[in-house]
Amino acid sequence: MGLSELEHLSLEVDEKLLRFMDQLELLEEKRVSLNALIEQGWFSISKARYSMGNKQVSSLQYASEIEPLLCVYTQKLDNGEIKYSTNTVNGKSNDDLKPVQDIGPQETGVRRRNKKLNVDEKEESEETISEQTYEYPRVRKCGHNPQQDPLKWFGILVPQSLKQAQTSFKQVIELSAEIASLQTTILNSREELWKDMEKKLKIQVKDSSHNVDQVEN
Amino acid sequence: MAGRGKLIAVIGDEDTCTGFLLGGIGELNKNRKPNFLVVEKDTSITEIEETFKSFLARNDIGIILINQFIAEMIRHAIDAHMQSIPAVLEIPSKEHPYDASKDSILRRDNRE
Repeated sequence: MGLSELEHLSLEVDEKLLRFMDQLELLEEKRVSLNALIEQGWFSISKARYSMGNKQVSSLQYASEIEPLLCVYTQKLDNGEIKYSTNTVNGKSNDDLKPVQDIGPQETGVRRRNKKLNVDEKEESEETISEQTYEYPRVRKCGHNPQQDPLKWFGILVPQSLKQAQTSFKQVIELSAEIASLQTTILNSREELWKDMEKKLKIQVKDSSHNVDQVEN
Repeated sequence: MAGRGKLIAVIGDEDTCTGFLLGGIGELNKNRKPNFLVVEKDTSITEIEETFKSFLARNDIGIILINQFIAEMIRHAIDAHMQSIPAVLEIPSKEHPYDASKDSILRRDNRE
């Protein structure tokens, strides 16, 4: 009875060990990708700094108020593992964020001054005024939207290399969430493996002492 | 931050922080402390350790990204962190490539 239990446990340990090794290999692959993307991002930042100037791409350009555009969601699974996933804040992409200032098509018509207004025209002008006043809150007094694209901190026209850096680091962020999930999986697998190995050792000790008793008798 | 997701914090050199902030993970406003620390030559180990511990204490941070050479300075604090959240990821820096043998997670696997 003990022998079959030992065999069964040995098979389980072997299976878990192989799974653990696969997870470590996957982690190594993701790490290599992460490191390559980070290096690519640094290279792009260096190129941008070369074209814009040394002080133009630094921490001095960070905005005084920043709101995150990306966040990470955690989900605890039944087996105790944590799954990490990234998403934009409020489910909106950067394209959906309103620009600081909207000009051009919103400016419709020419305002008339010193004109005697009829009732209908008065209502129209009130609507126009209310629309115009409604547009004002879009432009903040400080001229800065905390949730704006961080590229705008570095100027209106930024080199392509800075946009490439942004793309690289966005990929790094997604990959970081995957690696974080994988790390918790690996730690979980390792703990299970150690528990099974301890259990196997106890059974082996018990079997060997049982065998010794039989020999003595 | 419940319902809005958690933040990703960064402790790194200027280029690392700039890159991740470009990616859109930064938070800084008048009421709350920032979720990033730019480590420069004159940044003390005490400040780094205090910032790391403050990130661990916050319940709205899900992942902490830290350059590995900075992690080496506060290795004892990182090794002491056993919880799953926030996850601590060590990343390379421009002058110090990533070394898996120094990673706390992987060293935890080998140690026992």
